[in-house]
Amino acid sequence: MNRIYFDNGSTSFPKAAGVPEKIAELLTKGAFNINRGSYEEAYEMEEIVLETREKIAHLFHAKDSRQVIFTPGITYSLNFFLKGLLKSGDHVITTSMEHNAVMRPLHQLEKEGVTYDIVQGDSRGRVKAEDFERLIRKETKAIIMLHASNACGTILPIEEVGKICKKHHLFFCVDTAQSAGTIDVDMEKCCIDFVAFTGHKGLLGPQGIGGFIISEELDKVLVPLVAGGTGSQSDSLEIPPYLPDKYESGTLNLPGIVGLHAALTYIEKETVEKIHEKKMELTEYFLNGIRRFPWIRVVGEPEMENRVAVVTLDFQGMDNSIVAFELEQHDQIMTRVGLHCAPKAHQTLGTFPQGAVRFSFSAFNTKEEIDICICAFERMKGYR
Amino acid sequence: MNEKKEIQTYVLFPNHDNGMRLHRELKKLGVRATIAPTPRVVSTCCGISLLIKKEDVETVEKCVTEHQIQILKIVDIEKNINPNRDRYC
Repeated sequence: MNRIYFDNGSTSFPKAAGVPEKIAELLTKGAFNINRGSYEEAYEMEEIVLETREKIAHLFHAKDSRQVIFTPGITYSLNFFLKGLLKSGDHVITTSMEHNAVMRPLHQLEKEGVTYDIVQGDSRGRVKAEDFERLIRKETKAIIMLHASNACGTILPIEEVGKICKKHHLFFCVDTAQSAGTIDVDMEKCCIDFVAFTGHKGLLGPQGIGGFIISEELDKVLVPLVAGGTGSQSDSLEIPPYLPDKYESGTLNLPGIVGLHAALTYIEKETVEKIHEKKMELTEYFLNGIRRFPWIRVVGEPEMENRVAVVTLDFQGMDNSIVAFELEQHDQIMTRVGLHCAPKAHQTLGTFPQGAVRFSFSAFNTKEEIDICICAFERMKGYR
Repeated sequence: MNEKKEIQTYVLFPNHDNGMRLHRELKKLGVRATIAPTPRVVSTCCGISLLIKKEDVETVEKCVTEHQIQILKIVDIEKNINPNRDRYC
């Protein structure tokens, strides 16, 4: 029996066509470093890195691909933003739907004198843009929020919040972990100063590569958290002031970038719109399939509007962990149960501390796989 | 005997990224540019440079402006390899 993977919100699998091959080719034929060696092979690698920056810039509508910075992942990116910007006395606004990649750094910073306010979401995970404006005070430096919830798939109003940030001269940081490669993220239109992205979820690349795109204004004040060799301005002990070197000390994850390059090439060919369409078709099929089970509560948005292909279910009258275990053991279905590293979000959604079971689809899933899952729910009726 | 040394024209950059960008744009224009380590005599920054033909300087400068590429400068230096030096090492 084939295994069924419904945990693409955690990391995508399978990866885009060409990703494993390109990484293997690099590691086999020569993973030469960039910004260091002065030979043809290093320059070829630099060309791939440059192209990858351009693909990312194009995807997020950035002005200049030099604004694209690579990091080991989106958690690092969000830490770069929060810890590189905020100091004692500063205030920041976030939402109750955030992942711990935002909440834990904020909790750390709070101990150092940074304060924050949380815009409370409703039981579907929705937040209102006007609620942010009410919390702005003279010490407020920034608003940080996710685009789509990893806990339930609800989409948050980043365009409206971006306008508020622009009006009040606040920096705006958006966590695109669950939206990049799935729905359009327009950095300019949404007035975003810092787009944090990961390469291994919707972008279909390997783990260990992510990054951020930084606006010119934010770059003027953000402190680079990591200092070291960049292969440039090596006669000075100062970190180079220009992009991307300023935020890219140390050797980059080149196999990761090569994999991401292959993945982005695949996405460009398939188009974000078509990938999204396929994922939402599967989501709708799944939501329609579970309607017959009144004991299964859809956590977050119950319908198709305002969501991504992340569907979280609370199996009422059952232990959600037992459900996930049964699905894996009996039906070969892989899901994610628990709090999804987002305890505040689950408090908001009414699923704390019991957690819920998350089903997150990719365009590689099929309706047949969903049918198997629905049959499993039918069987579980008897377990209640 | 005083031999006339060959003069080479280098475009210097603050970092690799800008060097690669200009290299690619010049390639599109059909202008030959060779990526080379920056001669230590003109800069100690450890970066790369582009070795170009003297007659292409104007085209290169236009390209730099058009694509907002950051360069440090364009310099002419004498080719500093003495074929007779250390020949018996």
